[in-house]
Amino acid sequence: MAQPIISFKNVSKEYILYKNEQERFKALFIKPKKPKINKALKNVSFEIHKGESVGIIGDNGAGKSTILKMITGVAFPDEGEIEVNGKVAALLELTAGFSTEMTGRENIYLKGYILGLNDEYIRTIEERIIDFAQLGDYIDQPVRTYSSGMRLRLGFAINVNIEPDILVVDEALAVGDASFKKKCKDKINEIIKSGVTVLYVSHNENSVAEVCNRAIYLKKGQLMFDGDIPTAFEKYKEGKAKK
Amino acid sequence: MFQIFKEHKGFSKQIFLLAKNELIKTYKGAVIGPFWAVIKPAFTLFVYWFAFSVGIKELGDVDVAINGEFINTFDRFTFMIVGFIPWFFISDSITQGAKAIRLNRQFVTKVNFPVSTIMTFTATARLYVHLLLAALMFLYVSLVSGVGVSIYNLQFFLYCPLMFIFFVVLTWSTAPMSAFSRDFENMIVSIMSGIFWVSGIIYSSYEFTSGFLKYLMLLNPINFFANGYRNAFLYQRWFFEYPLELIIFLVEFAAIFVLGIYNYNRLRKSLPDVL
Repeated sequence: MAQPIISFKNVSKEYILYKNEQERFKALFIKPKKPKINKALKNVSFEIHKGESVGIIGDNGAGKSTILKMITGVAFPDEGEIEVNGKVAALLELTAGFSTEMTGRENIYLKGYILGLNDEYIRTIEERIIDFAQLGDYIDQPVRTYSSGMRLRLGFAINVNIEPDILVVDEALAVGDASFKKKCKDKINEIIKSGVTVLYVSHNENSVAEVCNRAIYLKKGQLMFDGDIPTAFEKYKEGKAKK
Repeated sequence: MFQIFKEHKGFSKQIFLLAKNELIKTYKGAVIGPFWAVIKPAFTLFVYWFAFSVGIKELGDVDVAINGEFINTFDRFTFMIVGFIPWFFISDSITQGAKAIRLNRQFVTKVNFPVSTIMTFTATARLYVHLLLAALMFLYVSLVSGVGVSIYNLQFFLYCPLMFIFFVVLTWSTAPMSAFSRDFENMIVSIMSGIFWVSGIIYSSYEFTSGFLKYLMLLNPINFFANGYRNAFLYQRWFFEYPLELIIFLVEFAAIFVLGIYNYNRLRKSLPDVL
């Protein structure tokens, strides 16, 4: 079997909750004795292979965003191992990493550098990004002058045009007006069809079924089910009813 | 272990781009924009000069002697300006450097970013300002003050990069710790105003002849740089001519380096959780 593109091995994540600022200050120098801990993930293991589309479902606080943060390299596990082999484009925080005083064009480079791309490559995708974002002459204006819709468009355009190996999408993604929304949806579908590995976070069975062929159901930090979509949603509904 | 170096590899372009952005953020939107970078320190300098040369008259000229060896007499303003120019960089580096991660939290919590480069690019922005001020200082010292130019001036290219590196390394500890606890940040900012008076900026740190104080002053790395700049521009001495001062500094540098690596590695992974 080929090497998985994403692998989680017994991953656990804890957030330490400090009672107050004194506790926090103390923790800088001595390990807190009995800290209050919120277990965001408990011993989660799964593998995702190239070309798979996987839906991640679960209630708020189930650990979905913690998993996505780990895949995008923002958060780190306390225990276990994570391996991600490939360029990740995350349609989560589209405007993250933007410098508002810099122009849209400079921000394309900035974001490109953050994603580990070189000048030459960024130059080849630059026009495509500007074109997709429909920013016109605004591209050479500072991002601070952009409307929120324009910022989102630029963020989206950068993320989808870098030819990612892994695409992370949150269904609750807002990208502005209806026509651009449609354009985004089409683009996402196009990327999915091109065989990119997709992680799709959603509450909606229909849209997960449309995009994915596998689903992971999380509940309170634990992986409850990993497999076909109808069963995953069955368990999800069961889990909700039990509560 | 050397995570910080790995994070910097291949990131030089981004560091310069973000440093430029820092400058724009700081100075744009004001009518005289970048001139503030000069006006603010010039005003500070004037106020101190006024207080110490005009106000307290007995503090007129400065006679500098190192270990009993008389160097020269300088007028207070010339003496002060060469100490203040590194001081402005140092004081900003310590207070602003400690805030670097918290003020750039979007790079920590939203994207996968080499966090240690935050301290580097913010320091780089300060370095640009410092180079501008140092150039103005050089013009003053060489053309106006009567001290003139000498081969010793070249030591600027030793002291300045060393100062940059030293205070970046210091922020490897202070910036993650300040991001973790606001109290730590406030502590640093409060200490800083006191640090000024135990550093030889307006007076010569070599002034103390009593044994204990004399050695105590050598422990303050800020003195190393203030004296270093004066070695280069006023005293016409080489950096190795006072070996004890150099050795103490290097030992402190090594200690801060080790502490920096330790603190950064220890706190790096919990930063996204606490910010």
